[in-house]
Amino acid sequence: MGVILEAWVFATILCGFLGILWKQNLIMKVLAMDVMSTGVIAYYVVSAARGGVFTPIFLPQRQVAYADPVPQAVILTAIVIGLSIQALMLVGVMKLSRYHPTLDVRDIEMKNSP
Amino acid sequence: MNVLTLVWIASAFFLGFGIYFMPSLTRPLALLAGFFSLGYGLALGVQPEPVVLRLLDSFGVGLFLDSLTSFFIITNALVTIAVIFTLWESDKTPFFFTQILILHGSVNGAFASTDWISLYVALEVVGIAAFLLITYPRNERVIWVGLRYLLISNVAMLFYLVGAVLVYESHHSFDFVGLGEAPPEAVALLFLGLLVKGGIFTLGFWLPMTHATAEAPVSALLSGVVVKAAVLPLIRCALLVAAVEPLVRGVGVGTALLGVGFALFESDVKRVLAWSTTSQMGFILAAPEVGGFYALAHGLVKAALFLLAGQLPSRDVRELAQQGIPRTLGIPLALASFSISGFPLLAGFGAKVLTMKNLLPWQVGGMTGAAVGTAAIYASSFFLPWTRTPTSLPRGFWAAMAVLLGGLLVANGVYYEAFTWGNIVKPLGIIAGGWGLYWGVVRRLQVRLPRFLEQLEHLLGMMSVGLVVLFWLAWSW
Repeated sequence: MGVILEAWVFATILCGFLGILWKQNLIMKVLAMDVMSTGVIAYYVVSAARGGVFTPIFLPQRQVAYADPVPQAVILTAIVIGLSIQALMLVGVMKLSRYHPTLDVRDIEMKNSP
Repeated sequence: MNVLTLVWIASAFFLGFGIYFMPSLTRPLALLAGFFSLGYGLALGVQPEPVVLRLLDSFGVGLFLDSLTSFFIITNALVTIAVIFTLWESDKTPFFFTQILILHGSVNGAFASTDWISLYVALEVVGIAAFLLITYPRNERVIWVGLRYLLISNVAMLFYLVGAVLVYESHHSFDFVGLGEAPPEAVALLFLGLLVKGGIFTLGFWLPMTHATAEAPVSALLSGVVVKAAVLPLIRCALLVAAVEPLVRGVGVGTALLGVGFALFESDVKRVLAWSTTSQMGFILAAPEVGGFYALAHGLVKAALFLLAGQLPSRDVRELAQQGIPRTLGIPLALASFSISGFPLLAGFGAKVLTMKNLLPWQVGGMTGAAVGTAAIYASSFFLPWTRTPTSLPRGFWAAMAVLLGGLLVANGVYYEAFTWGNIVKPLGIIAGGWGLYWGVVRRLQVRLPRFLEQLEHLLGMMSVGLVVLFWLAWSW
């Protein structure tokens, strides 16, 4: 079961990366980056669930397989950072499209390369 | 020292946000943060044993600061101080200074951290602060360049995160040492992130355009310290994990040659400096044990050169060669160029001698070639005609030059053992060779190297290629 989950997670990461690579629309690129980051976050969650899936809150009377709290704790930071970068980039895209009403990466690149 | 370390780590952020509460004290507060870092870095340098701070339990999250780190912290402090001096009389808003301090603090955090997750957080904050500094003028071009930078660095850091969890799975901690037990794909993914962030080897093609488009003080920060936030962890890994040392050294030689090769055929001053940054990162990585001193010498020189480039009448080398530059700018330009070429009595000389001494036999040829190339790149700045036209430069600019070039002279004393006849003759020979190369070949060439590799698509494509190559290297070593 774990292997299948992991395969799906990697498929998500790869789809996101291919989207960043192939999409010509700037907003789509930013969204594809979010898909990729979703995949990475899911990988941390899958990794945490390897030893068990119960919430890692220890109760003496409860004898179950707990999930590993560490990967979950650290990925929280990455989620927040990912969200803020996403927001920042979308604002940038908005500003950019107001100067020059297109979202096509090649157009913008042609116009702004020396 | 432990309490001092914690206060110092937090100080840049507190002072940075404090600027917003006291906008009238913007510049003094920013300067205070810079001098605090400088004092801390110097104190750390004379401290015999490293400072080690560990989070409770065994997840490897913590801080580690030793004399190698102190070189990087001093570089960061001096460059920040110089940039604040330059901007003293400018009309930049408190927002700009807050971003400078956040950048300063997060770069310090990246230097101090010894685990993959703290480093991730520090590097991402560096990326956001750098983006906001680059896009400060808010015209179309800087926004595009900033977006490009953020996209590339964030994608690289996502790969890096996958590598970090692979290290955790094999070692049950995020410590750098865990890299030794991690599978080769973890090494490939983590190094991809760090190499892209540091602008190293073929993964660093985003660097020239980004550094050349930003305003002069921002370029000074980006080239002087920001790229080093990703270089110190690479050095640290090479020192901690013997298995990746040849990889780091090899990448160093490749980067040094690549950067020099591109810089020689460039005619835009700021792009020459940016390519030269790439090649100098290679010098730092080629001899990881002594990279700290080289980083100090390079950071000061490159910040000075970028600040000077901002004051030059033109950005085209050929135009400058025709119309000449004011003598008041020519003297600091010559001093900085002498240091980076490795001329005695400036820090660049000691750093270069030290690096050359710590190379492995298979690296010597390539690095000597890169040193000759570096001398050739900067040879052009000695042959610019000086004009007598007086220029009125702000006093802050001269204060910045005094900090940076004075720092170079003082830092020369760090490795005074370098002054032997044998050591002095070799760099002079390299400089002579470089000038000969410039005068005989480079000056006559009218080559324009293609720039298609700097397009966004190719930058992203290079990342997937880089991942495959890094995996193959990590797997075969």
